Amino acid sequence: MRRYRRRVCALLVISLAPGAFAGTVTVDVTTTTGIKAADVVIVFDPLDATPPPSHGKATIDQVNKQYVPRVTVVRTGTAITFPNSDHIRHQVYSFSKPNKFTLKLYAGSPPTPVNFDQPGLVVLGCNIHDHMVAFVGVVDSPYFVKTPPSGTAELTMPAGRYRMRVWHPNEIGAAPPREITVSGEAMTIPLIIDLQGAPTAVAAWPE
Amino acid sequence: MALRTRIAVTFLLLLAAVLAAALLAVSETNRRNVERDAGVRLDAGMLAFSRLLDSNRRQLTHAAHAVAADYGFRDAVSTNDTDTLVSVLENSGTRIGAAMVVLTSLDGEVLATSGSQFRPGMHFPLPPVRMDSIDGDNASGFIVDNGRIYELVAVQVSSPLPVAWIAMGFELDAAAVRELAGITGLNVTLSVKSARGWTDTVSTVAADAIRRDDVVTRRIELSKSNDTEIVAVLSRSLAAARAPFESLTRALFLIAAISLVAFAFAAFWLARNITRPLQDLTRAVGRMRDGSYDGVLGVQRRDELGVLAEGLELMQSAVQTRDQAIRRLAYEDTLTGLMNRTAFVASLGRALGDSAAAPVAVAVINLHRFRRINEHLGYSVGDAVLVKIAERLAAVPSVQSAVARLAADQFAAFATLRDADTVQAWGTSLLVALSEPVFVETQPIDITPTLGLAQASPGTASADGLMRCADLALERARREKRALALFEAAQTPAAPDQLSLLGELRHAVEHDELRLFFQPKIELETHRIVGAEVLLRWQHPTRGLLGPAEFIPFAEQTGFIRKLTRWTLDRAIEQGARWHRAGKALTLAVNISADDLGDARLDSRVAGLLTRHQLPPPLLTLEITESGFIEDPTRALRILDAIAALGVTLSIDDFGTGYSSLSHLARMPVHEVKIDRTFVQGLESDPEFAPVVRSAIDMGHGLGLKVVAEGIETEAAARRLRDLGCDIAQGYLYAKPMPLEALELWLEGRVRVPVIAVPVDFPIEDLADTVNLAVY
Repeated sequence: MRRYRRRVCALLVISLAPGAFAGTVTVDVTTTTGIKAADVVIVFDPLDATPPPSHGKATIDQVNKQYVPRVTVVRTGTAITFPNSDHIRHQVYSFSKPNKFTLKLYAGSPPTPVNFDQPGLVVLGCNIHDHMVAFVGVVDSPYFVKTPPSGTAELTMPAGRYRMRVWHPNEIGAAPPREITVSGEAMTIPLIIDLQGAPTAVAAWPE
Repeated sequence: MALRTRIAVTFLLLLAAVLAAALLAVSETNRRNVERDAGVRLDAGMLAFSRLLDSNRRQLTHAAHAVAADYGFRDAVSTNDTDTLVSVLENSGTRIGAAMVVLTSLDGEVLATSGSQFRPGMHFPLPPVRMDSIDGDNASGFIVDNGRIYELVAVQVSSPLPVAWIAMGFELDAAAVRELAGITGLNVTLSVKSARGWTDTVSTVAADAIRRDDVVTRRIELSKSNDTEIVAVLSRSLAAARAPFESLTRALFLIAAISLVAFAFAAFWLARNITRPLQDLTRAVGRMRDGSYDGVLGVQRRDELGVLAEGLELMQSAVQTRDQAIRRLAYEDTLTGLMNRTAFVASLGRALGDSAAAPVAVAVINLHRFRRINEHLGYSVGDAVLVKIAERLAAVPSVQSAVARLAADQFAAFATLRDADTVQAWGTSLLVALSEPVFVETQPIDITPTLGLAQASPGTASADGLMRCADLALERARREKRALALFEAAQTPAAPDQLSLLGELRHAVEHDELRLFFQPKIELETHRIVGAEVLLRWQHPTRGLLGPAEFIPFAEQTGFIRKLTRWTLDRAIEQGARWHRAGKALTLAVNISADDLGDARLDSRVAGLLTRHQLPPPLLTLEITESGFIEDPTRALRILDAIAALGVTLSIDDFGTGYSSLSHLARMPVHEVKIDRTFVQGLESDPEFAPVVRSAIDMGHGLGLKVVAEGIETEAAARRLRDLGCDIAQGYLYAKPMPLEALELWLEGRVRVPVIAVPVDFPIEDLADTVNLAVY
């Protein structure tokens, strides 16, 4: 079994924007090997205010026996629809504790969306296609972002203090959540993560 | 070794060698085949074995996958519903006959188990993941649990991410091993090495059977970790592998043994078939060698041996014919068909041996004057006469055994008589048989047979001896002019004596046993000593001193006389030369026998001796008897001429007794004559004899010869001879023959006395036995 050295190298530079109501935060994630990292979930939990509940909607499609997208972040209480774009039937299940459910084999649109009302990581699978895996991060905070293939994402949120969590399914040795302060000015947070972990391991969801 | 045995043994050894080589080759090939075959089977077995294990593994993998993919199972795993999990494990294990099913966490902690010693919470030794497997989520290997070996496959359980391992295993128990053995055709042993060492967990053969010498094995390592090692040993007993080959080898051995025995019989039969006739032929040849030619060879064959036998048979008859011819030639007289001497003597010998008791008589018959028949009537008539006489003799009934012709005119017969007195009668009957004239072509021819008879006595046991006795009797009959004489014991010939005499005489010459004696010769007119006659004596080692009469006649008969003469001449001439050098002019007279004159080289011998010893020839006189030149006067004359030419004096000995004619005498180169002693003796006894002596002396003088008289014993005779004109005298009156030393003494005595002095007595006592007293 191949082993990868665990090395964490996270550099966080925080720029504070003085005297503004809202600030723009840019995260720039690269891997330790210098590649822009996609599908990195970054969550900012406000420490000074409690955001109101939300009842949004989201969709996770199944294309070519793959979940699309593979990584999804939603607010707690979001109803996610699982359309099936393949010609074959799929089953969707989750044995994850926060949101356990099963969608029996179906084709086309599912009868009902699945409500994700507990925060935490949900791993989705298909009982008849073992290789199909999708991750759904369920968070209370409305401030979160998932990096595109460019590795850079922008987020605007009110100034204040936040707890920043970073997650990627394959990350090794993730840095613990930490506090940042958002001012009215734009700020860029560069992140470096180690993605050379074992393919079967799933990084723990930072609570 | 006999031919038969040799042939048989040779071929047997040859066959045995061939068979041994063949058997060796077969055995060696078998042995190699067995080993190669075992190797091939083991290799094939290994392949089958690993295929079987692979098949098991695939089966287990499929089963484990099936369980791992079961949604309910995944649910149970994710909800950690232990009871449900155990039941699922039991159920799936039973479904494929897996002995062990274990569910572990990804770290190997046992979550649930069925059919194993492991308990939840324990660490389970998951087999290593097989990177080469199609999907990376299964692992396989072998483990030992509670002393049992399991082939194990582990598969990850995903929900959907990997959350656990499900491991399923077949136990490699006795049944499984038997199945493996059945498929591979080999013995299978599974061994485990633990801290305590190797243990054969399960095996299809008895313990340690795989560690024997005649077992070939292949070892398959199933699993190896730090402290545990699991191996499968495939083995094949060479003995079992050899079994079919061994039965083949046994069959070959049996064939070899049978063929050897059969071949032995055949070889001996064949060899005997060849050698038996050979032995028969050998026996036949042996019989022929022993002189028997009428044997039957007894070999009736059509092959080469038959031809050989036929040839031998022909040879046998040819040899027989030739043998008979040779026998006839050897033992028969060709003219008369009677036995020859050889056969007769042999036959007589047999008769003497056979009839020891009955007296055997032998007659030797000589036909008187038979030579005249041949000469006057021709040899054909003579032969016819001989044949007739042979027939007559053979017809005499008393001639019991044999009649033979011994020589030209001599026959012999012998008979076994009833008693000794009838010998004479038997001889007479033979004479009677020959008394009638023999008719040859109507011409009557008188036969005058003389017969010598001898009868076997204990002293004449040999046939030869008896024949000689008869010969002597025949001699006597002839001498006494009788028709028949019987051998008498007194007549026993001295032949053996004489034979030894010759040897002794030769010995005498070589060992100086002969002595020269000298008898002086006196000139009657002057009484001067003119010389001496050399006489021979033999100092015999046992018989003492022998006179000439005792060995000279014998030497003349045997021809030994020439050697004696040569010896005497040598010594006499040597002595004469010695005297000559001493200034004594003495003529030495040496007697030459008639036989000596037959020696063509006599003159050169004499000349040689004279030269060697430096003696003037006139000092040597050779005395020759008249008989010496009667036989071959011409030849004698030639030699005497040659000798006279040397200057040697020649004297006729015993003059007046011989038959020589006066013409001969006149031609002979002699210088003197020696009147025979009978004249001198006659002169003394009978005065009437004087004219005869005078005539002889006058005749000598008339021929111009000196006259010598010998044997003079009285003074009166000497005086009378001198009156008659005799020149020289010799006799006991003067001196006996005496050895050299005595003669020299005698001469010395004579010299002291003046030659013309009146003779006086002159005794020489020392020589009394050899020298008569001289009266001068």
